[in-house]
Amino acid sequence: MSTVDELVQAIENGEAARAGEKARAALDEGADPTGLVDTLSVAMRAVGDRFGTGEIFLPELMLAARAMQSAVDVVQPALLASNAASKKVGVMVLGTVRGDVHEIGKDIAITMLRASGFEVYDLGRDVDPLDFVKRAEELRADIIGASALMTTTMPAQKELVDILVAKGLREKYHVILGGAPVTAEWVAEAGADSWGEDAAKAAKTLEEVMAGKRAGAGE
Amino acid sequence: MSHLKMWEIMERAAAGPYCEDDEFLYDIFLPKMQEVLSKYEIRYDPSTPVPADDDLADRIWKAAVEFFLAVGVHNVDTHRRILITEDELNEALFLAPEVHQVGAGHETRWWRPRRIEDERGPFCIFSPDITYDEDIFLQASMAYTQEPLADGVCGPILEESIGRTIHSGTPAEMAGVMEHAMMLRNAAKLVGRPGLFLVAVGTAQSDTGQIAASSNEWGVRSTDGRLIGVLTEMKTDNELLNKVVHCKQFGCAIGCLTGAIYGGYAGGAEGTAVLEVAHHLVGLTVYQHNFNNSFPFHMQHTSNSGREMLWLVSMVHQALARNSRILSTSNGFFNAGPGTDMLFREVSAHAIASVVSGGDLWTSAPRHNKYRNYATPLEARLAAETGHAVARQGMSREQACGIVDTLLKKYEGEIATAPEGKPIQECYELMKVKPQGWYLDMYKAAREELAGLGVEYPY
Ligand code: B12
Repeated sequence: MSTVDELVQAIENGEAARAGEKARAALDEGADPTGLVDTLSVAMRAVGDRFGTGEIFLPELMLAARAMQSAVDVVQPALLASNAASKKVGVMVLGTVRGDVHEIGKDIAITMLRASGFEVYDLGRDVDPLDFVKRAEELRADIIGASALMTTTMPAQKELVDILVAKGLREKYHVILGGAPVTAEWVAEAGADSWGEDAAKAAKTLEEVMAGKRAGAGE
Repeated sequence: MSHLKMWEIMERAAAGPYCEDDEFLYDIFLPKMQEVLSKYEIRYDPSTPVPADDDLADRIWKAAVEFFLAVGVHNVDTHRRILITEDELNEALFLAPEVHQVGAGHETRWWRPRRIEDERGPFCIFSPDITYDEDIFLQASMAYTQEPLADGVCGPILEESIGRTIHSGTPAEMAGVMEHAMMLRNAAKLVGRPGLFLVAVGTAQSDTGQIAASSNEWGVRSTDGRLIGVLTEMKTDNELLNKVVHCKQFGCAIGCLTGAIYGGYAGGAEGTAVLEVAHHLVGLTVYQHNFNNSFPFHMQHTSNSGREMLWLVSMVHQALARNSRILSTSNGFFNAGPGTDMLFREVSAHAIASVVSGGDLWTSAPRHNKYRNYATPLEARLAAETGHAVARQGMSREQACGIVDTLLKKYEGEIATAPEGKPIQECYELMKVKPQGWYLDMYKAAREELAGLGVEYPY
């Protein structure tokens, strides 16, 4: 088995320490850092798909995402040194809105998005709309994600968008809304940008959004 | 009821071992779960959705006890772990009452723990588990309170109060909470059951809302009950603990609301079963509950009527019934909507699996517990009647397993594409609080199908 195959296996098995070691070994053997990250992304996507079909469960997905992260941490400096564009897909803050303690959906979305290469900051649950905005500013995020599981807390998703408008920051962020009661209609009504119908679809949507942003910025 | 004093719990909630979220999950929860699953050799077998395996039940119990004592409960507000010692747990198990009294007047009920294959019928709480439009709230609640087999009722949830959208944590929530409490009590009075045990109020999302509804004069009485959730998974927060402290002092029954997620942090059927039993121990010690509402659910479908889910529902109740006097209502979560054959089959399979395993019933949440107005008392009636029938005839787990397997084969292929069914307004003539004729016929046909499979209804 080649070192890269072993690395992929370490990710699939969720072995963070081994993934880090194998990533280092692959680089030492002269692997191209950009190609390496691409291979890892493909492997991680496969793990994500297996989660989507119910073949594996959340712990396996989370451990794989962790292993992926430790490999990427090792490869990142080499990537930067080789002057290749950063593989960081986008920076995102994500939380469950004020008054709402439902968080498993948010946690899954975070895991899937991290697995797809996004740098995601977990704001937790019961988060004030203004705090989403403040944290996004501090962290220079590209995307704000808000989860609401109750019709009675969905209004806080709109409040978040309204605050962005009031502060003149609306154009700066892509706002994605999720949670079981959220619909495409509500996303439009709240003035947000996209609907995170489920975590896997959200990852796809946001990858496209970021690709669009990069193209727009002339990268 | 536990000897542990509330202030001891609160002290641990504020000053237990410091622990951040990630550490709790990765370093404590996940490894301990793996350890107990392999140590106690717990394995799911799809060929027996209702296992007759006492040893497996006891191993699940032991795994849950070991897991609970090692992991404790994480207070996400203080980042502290509430740890319970083995002696404290054993004391709480020893002190768990032989009987709990709920409801008042002619509706007083003495609620006793059931054993596996117990011939005493299940305690049945009827509940739509869902939100209804405000304008049908009273009539729809009466449709539930009038059900003869209802030992208690948990009413629908409001999203609006006096025509205005409720926003969580605002005065609108308070208004909605009071409206809910008043209307639900009226629904009990109007059907001639003023003392009925009401588990209320689901509209209350905040601790303030829950406390605002307590009133022996017009609201939730001390002879009623409420639900206090455990956060996913093995977590709590100060708001939830505030509710506990209030209820202990007010004197109403505490129902600990726990839904371990299949496919979530505990993994598959085995881990989810162990976790759900551990949740009951959280209820017993930390929330000092009178009963549990147990709704383990499948992460993709938000239901618990699939094969792996019935296996774990059955095993959770067997583990509890063999090793404790913890009262646990098994809360059905289903895929199909009301007015479909599939829903009638799902509720029956779930009721049979729960009742022969020693559980009580909380019934039920159709259509993935997601769509407003999509729940009716008729599917709950079938569940309760079927539960009473199988208890009364002394049905064995083996026979139950055969019937459940037959029912499963009729619907399990359609779980992902289950029919939506119809809202209560179409299934009932609501003003008259009466099921539509076609709907009653469908329910009767479902009962006949079950009778053909060996369920002996007493009437
Ligand atoms: C589990 C559960 C609980 C657990 C939550 C545990 C936890 N910490 O997470 C407990 C028991 C604690 C709980 C408590 C309550 N609950 Co609750 N709960 C549910 C239930 C059954 C399932 C939710 C769930 O976890 N689903 C599984 C996950 C995986 O799905 P998901 O969240 O939809 O997430 C997926 C997508 O939506 C998406 N996604 C989600 N968020 C985001 C965000 C972004 C940015 C993106 C991209 C994607 C994304 O990705 C996920 C994976 O694909 C729902 C019913 C339902 N069908 O949704 C009721 C429900 C949400 N609860 C409800 C209620 C009323 C309550 C309580 C108020 C009850 C009470 N009176 O105490 C309290 C809430 C207190 C509060 N202040 O929040 C109601 C809300 C009704 C309403 N007004 O709208 C519901 C709808 C049940 C019902 N039909 O009545 N609940």
